[in-house]
Amino acid sequence: MKTYSYNKSHELFKKAAKIIPCGIYGHFSPAPLIPVSDYPFYISKAKDAHFWDVDGNEFIDYMCAYGPVILGYNNPVVESAAEMQRQQANCATAPGEIMVELADELVKTVTIADWAFFAKNGNDATTFSLMIARAKTGRKKIIRLKGGYHGVAPWTQSPDHPGIIFEDAENMLIGEWNNYEVLEDFVTKNPGEIAGIIATPYHHPTFEDNVLPAEGYWKKVEQLCKQEGIVLIIDDVRTGFRLDVRGSNEYFGFKPDLIAFCKAIGNGYPISALVGTKEMKEAASKVFYTGSYWLSAVPMAASLATILEIKENNVPEMLAEKGKKLTGGLQKIAKRHGFNLKVTGHPAMPYLRLTDDPSLMLHQEWCGECTKRGAYFTSHHNWFISAALTDTDIQKTFEIADDAFKTIKKNHPHKS
Amino acid sequence: MSAQKIKAGINLHAILKNLEDLVAFDDDARKLIGNRKMCIRFSVKNGPEAWVKFEKGKCTVGRGKAPKPNVILWFSSCEHLNKMFDGKANPIPLKGFTKLSFLQKEFTQLTKRLEYFLRPENVEKLDEHYIKMNTNFTLTIAAYALPEIALFDERAKFTASHLPDGTLQMEVLPEGPDVYLEIKAGKITAGKGKIAHPDAMMIMKDAHVANDFLNGKTDSFTAIALGDVMIKGQIPILDGINLMLDRVINYVS
Repeated sequence: MKTYSYNKSHELFKKAAKIIPCGIYGHFSPAPLIPVSDYPFYISKAKDAHFWDVDGNEFIDYMCAYGPVILGYNNPVVESAAEMQRQQANCATAPGEIMVELADELVKTVTIADWAFFAKNGNDATTFSLMIARAKTGRKKIIRLKGGYHGVAPWTQSPDHPGIIFEDAENMLIGEWNNYEVLEDFVTKNPGEIAGIIATPYHHPTFEDNVLPAEGYWKKVEQLCKQEGIVLIIDDVRTGFRLDVRGSNEYFGFKPDLIAFCKAIGNGYPISALVGTKEMKEAASKVFYTGSYWLSAVPMAASLATILEIKENNVPEMLAEKGKKLTGGLQKIAKRHGFNLKVTGHPAMPYLRLTDDPSLMLHQEWCGECTKRGAYFTSHHNWFISAALTDTDIQKTFEIADDAFKTIKKNHPHKS
Repeated sequence: MSAQKIKAGINLHAILKNLEDLVAFDDDARKLIGNRKMCIRFSVKNGPEAWVKFEKGKCTVGRGKAPKPNVILWFSSCEHLNKMFDGKANPIPLKGFTKLSFLQKEFTQLTKRLEYFLRPENVEKLDEHYIKMNTNFTLTIAAYALPEIALFDERAKFTASHLPDGTLQMEVLPEGPDVYLEIKAGKITAGKGKIAHPDAMMIMKDAHVANDFLNGKTDSFTAIALGDVMIKGQIPILDGINLMLDRVINYVS
C-alpha cells in the first residue's frame, strides 16, 4: 500500500517555528504524534469524515478536530443555519434572538438544565462552574481528579508547569478516578470548606486506558455532595452529546448541579455552554463573566442546528454502533496478525492500545503506519467517531490497518 | 532547601562525573594522570560527599564516602564547595598533605581541561573532538543533575513525585553519547550507556541539536516537531523529565 509524504506540511512548519511559539501549539502540537514524520501538520480542506493535508493526501479522520466535529466537516444543515444567521448578524451590539432559542433548546434537552450560559471554549465553562460553586457556597476548595482534563487555566494545570505557581493550586484537592473513599476523606478533613467537585463523566486521560465509572460510584458522589452542600460539576466537554443528548450523567444515572459543554455542540463553530439547576441560577447571575465574542450569533445558530440534527438522527446511538463496528473489526485484524488491541472507554470515543508492548512504542508505530496510509490515528488520545463515517470508510480503514500490521510485524517479529 | 545545596550536589555528582570520560577520551587529560593511583574524597559539612579515584590510567567518580581515600578535601559549607568550583575558593585538606603538589598541579590542570570543554563560548574554533566531548559532558551533566534537583528543588521534587516508574534512554546520534535514567517511586538514578527495553526514548539528531536542546536554547515542542529530537514510548516520563531539565540550568554556572 502506498504511504504518504509530507514535504509541504513540514516545510510550512519550519517557517511557522520561526514566527509562532512551538510552531503549532497546544493540543494540536505535533509533539505527541509519534513518529512526527508519519503525520501531516496542516490541512487544506475537510468534508464529512475526511480531510486533505497541504500535500494533497486524503485521510479518514478519527480525531474530528479533537472532538468538535461530531456530524462531519461542512455538514450542510449546520452550514446553512450558520450562513443564514451570518447574513443577518453575528458579533453585534446586542445578542440575537437565536441566543434565547438555543438556551431554550438546551433547557428542553438536558435533563438537569434550568438555564444555559454561553461562552467560547470548554475552559470558559469549567472555570465559570468553579466560580459559581464558590459564589454559591462561600467556600474556597475544589476537588478535581488526577488525569482529568478541564482546560488550560492555571487551576487546571499541574503547578510544576511553566507559568504556573504553587499558589494557583492552593485550593485544589486532587482525588483519584473511581476512588470514592479519597473524596470522602477530603470532605471529612476539610469540613465546610469544599465548594465543588469537578470531574468528567468517565475517565478519559491521555496515554492511559480509559475507565468507566464503577457500579454505584456516581450515586455515592452525588449523595455526598448533597449531604455536604458541595456543588457537583460535570465536565461534559469531550463526552457531551456523544453518549446521551440529555447529558452524559443520564447515561451513567446521576444528577449533577452544573454541566459544562463544548466541542460537539457547535460542530466546529466556537461555542461552549454551562447549564445548571435552578438552585445554581442566582449564584451564576452574581458572577461577572463574559468575553468579546461569547454572545455572537453565528456559532449559536450552528449550535442549535447541530443539537437538532443530533437529536433527530439519534447520533449517540449511531456513534456507538459505528465505534463498535470499527474497534471490533480492528481487534479482529490485530488478532489475525498475532497482536492484542485493547479498546477502552465509550465506543463513540474509544481509546485503543496494543498491549503487546507496555512502553507504547509498538502502538505508536502502528498508529503512525496507519496514518501515513490514510487513516488518521493518534496513539496518545481517545479517538472520536464522526456521524459522517461511512461503512466504506470503515472498510478502507480495515484495509489500512491490515497493511500497517503487516509492516509492524515485519519490523518486530518477536512482538506478535 | 537552599540553591547552594542543590548546586553542590550537581557540582559533585554531575560536573565531577565528567572526569571519567575526560580521562577516557582526551589524550591530554590522560597524560596528566598517567598511571597514578589515588583516591580523593570531597567532604562538605551538611552537604554531599563524593570521591574521585585514579587507577591504571582510568578515573572513576562515585557518590558517598570513599572507603580508603589518600586525600580528603573538606569544605565548611555547600557555598564553600561551589566557590571552589567557580575558582573563587580553596578546599581545606584534611588528609594527604604529601599529595598536595598533585592537587595543585595535575588535578588543577585536569579540572581546567574539563572547564575548557564545558565552555564553548570561550573557544574560537570548535573541532570535532571538542564538539564530541562537550556533547558528552552536557548530556552527563543533564542526566546526573536530575537526581539532585529531584531531591531538593521544590518544583522538580513535585514533578518527580508524579513521575511514572520506568526507564528513559537519552541518545545522541549517530554514535552517542548515551545516558539513561531509572525512575522508581519518584527517585531518579542516572547511568551511562544503553539499557535494554527502555520505557521511553529521547533521541537527539546530532551533537548540535543535543547542545541546544539540553542547554535550553530550543523549545522541546518545536525540536520534536522538526524531527531534531525524536521521542517515543511512555511520553508522561518524557514530559516530567523535560520539565525537570528546564530546572537544571538554574543551578549550573
